[in-house]
Amino acid sequence: MEKTIIINIGNTIIHIEESAYELLKAYLNEVKQYFANHADDLEIVTDIENRIAELLTEQLEEQKKKVVDAGNVNFVIGQMGRVQDFDNAEATTEEEPVVNASFQAQPTGKKLYRDMDERVIAGVCAGIAHYLDFDVKWIRLAAVLTVFLGGTGILVYALLWIIMPKATSRIEKMEMKGEPANLQGFQKNLDEELQAVRERLSEANKHAQPVFARLGNFIGEFVEWLGRFISGTGQVIFKLIAIVIVIFGVLFLLGLIVGVAAFQGFWDASIYEYFPFSIVNEGNRGVILFSAFIVCFIPVLALVLFSIRVAFGKQAINKTLSFALLIIWLAGAAAVGYQAAKISSEFKQHAELTQTTELKTLPTYIIDIDKSKYFSREDSIAYHIDANQKNQVVVDDFEDGPFVSPNNIRININKSENGVSRIVQKYESQGKTFRSALQNAQNISYSYSSKDASLVFNPRFQLRKGTIWRNQEVWINLEVPVGTKLVIKRDAYRYVNNYGTWDCDDKESDSNDYSTWIMTDDGLKCVAQLKEEAVQKKKLNQELIDLEAMKKSKVADTIYQDSVSNRIREVKQELGINVDENQ
Amino acid sequence: MIAENTQTQMRKGILEYCVLSIIARGEIYASDIIAELRSAKLLVVEGTLYPLLTRLKNNGLLSYNWVESTSGPPRKYYTLTEAGKGILSQLDQTWQELAYAVGISQKGANS
Repeated sequence: MEKTIIINIGNTIIHIEESAYELLKAYLNEVKQYFANHADDLEIVTDIENRIAELLTEQLEEQKKKVVDAGNVNFVIGQMGRVQDFDNAEATTEEEPVVNASFQAQPTGKKLYRDMDERVIAGVCAGIAHYLDFDVKWIRLAAVLTVFLGGTGILVYALLWIIMPKATSRIEKMEMKGEPANLQGFQKNLDEELQAVRERLSEANKHAQPVFARLGNFIGEFVEWLGRFISGTGQVIFKLIAIVIVIFGVLFLLGLIVGVAAFQGFWDASIYEYFPFSIVNEGNRGVILFSAFIVCFIPVLALVLFSIRVAFGKQAINKTLSFALLIIWLAGAAAVGYQAAKISSEFKQHAELTQTTELKTLPTYIIDIDKSKYFSREDSIAYHIDANQKNQVVVDDFEDGPFVSPNNIRININKSENGVSRIVQKYESQGKTFRSALQNAQNISYSYSSKDASLVFNPRFQLRKGTIWRNQEVWINLEVPVGTKLVIKRDAYRYVNNYGTWDCDDKESDSNDYSTWIMTDDGLKCVAQLKEEAVQKKKLNQELIDLEAMKKSKVADTIYQDSVSNRIREVKQELGINVDENQ
Repeated sequence: MIAENTQTQMRKGILEYCVLSIIARGEIYASDIIAELRSAKLLVVEGTLYPLLTRLKNNGLLSYNWVESTSGPPRKYYTLTEAGKGILSQLDQTWQELAYAVGISQKGANS
């Protein structure tokens, strides 16, 4: 059984078997190619086709068949002769001028095509190499280098990819390489032959192909290339990435194990004195450390195992084990969550503890900060501070490092209602219950010194040994009667609340390391600012007197009167004198 | 190779003359021309004839009529034009001269 095709050749309808059809088609294409440069190609080919039709019809009648088979076609070809046989007899064609326009477009020069056979991405470089007669590797090198010029290379490549047609047919490939399109050189390969003719006939259309259609081709090709890339070159890159992940992952895991061991073993005692580890209760430290370890360790382990699988194509771990790992991780996460909740519950209650100390009533107090660090006995030994050397001062830096729990004091300065100067120390803390919160507050150790007029505060409070950080705070409330002067040293500025201390520097003498304040009925005031305000007020008063005088001088001039009145009103407003609107 | 080339050249010239001579005998169909040429052992394949006929026609030596055929498409029947006849008589003369030249060349003028 064979598929039959109905063809119209030389105005005759003929049934022909598919294989015979292909044979005939190839032969006719060969003939067309041969006569392509001939002046009367159409007529000659028509004559030949008519004759073929006649021969086939005759044969069908002779053999009493209905369908042409390959044998018939071969007979016809034998009768008509192959193109190679034409050469011997027909030399005159060479003398004739080539007129046919559609087949004349056979440039001897090269054409720019993308070489799909030697491509790496889309054959752009190879095509350019053919066109310029360069070795393709130099073109590729140049292309790679231009990529580093701000990525212009990628853009140019994409553009060329869109603009340059790809060389698919034999003729295009020949044109690309600058070989003469030698028709006799065509292979007899059936498919290739058919393809070539089809391409050539559609050549005119192809060059007029709209840009967006090419863009569509480009996108399709790009996706195809991406697919090839991911399965080919990309896989290599992924594997390399995976190997890098495996190496660093393993290093990280080892680091984690060592770190935890160090935490648990070597640093055990002192690490928990540092913030934020100081939050953790003593009893729970092991549990938290272990669960935190699991929570960090297992995802990294999973990543490493996955990368091993990508890199080496082997499953490094079976399903049960990975499921077990997941369970362990969930357990670890739950433990961490539970502990976090438990710790945060210890901040639930709030307790305050106040301690009031009365001061000698003095007209002036000096507020200063003791920069020297407070050391406990143990610290002194640990830091090798020799007690024999007198007058030795260790100066604390003021910065809050990452591992220092927030333990700065705050100073408030208020008006004393009963005319007595006093210091109220307020210790605050959180805790799970009020009782524990109060206990935590009691465990704050803080000291200041008052000697005559000077009040020297420690910038930080300490927690007694064994106390954990529960957001402890120390507030110093200094209460002084109205009229009391306060000299605040510059070191203390940062601890004094809400008074714009930095703005109160005496503008005339900038070198002072203090500012002077005075307690008024309205609260604490900067003396320098008060002075300035007084000067300003005096100026305005003087202006007011001047203006009143001016107003009386030119009664007739209404415009002048108006402007003076306006100014008077402004000045009065600034002075705080009540202005009657009716005036 | 040289022999082949010469043979081809000879055949080519004579083929054209023969085709004109065959058509001069009366209106004739292309495949009949081929049959005659075959029997004269001058032409092997049919494909060669069509370009030749087309060229002769374009030069005004031939004309053709479409004649209905019983066994297929209409056929082109070729005849000589007046110009063709003129050329043919010239060619006849040339052939006589050539035959004489060849005869003389082969046998010598005196024989």
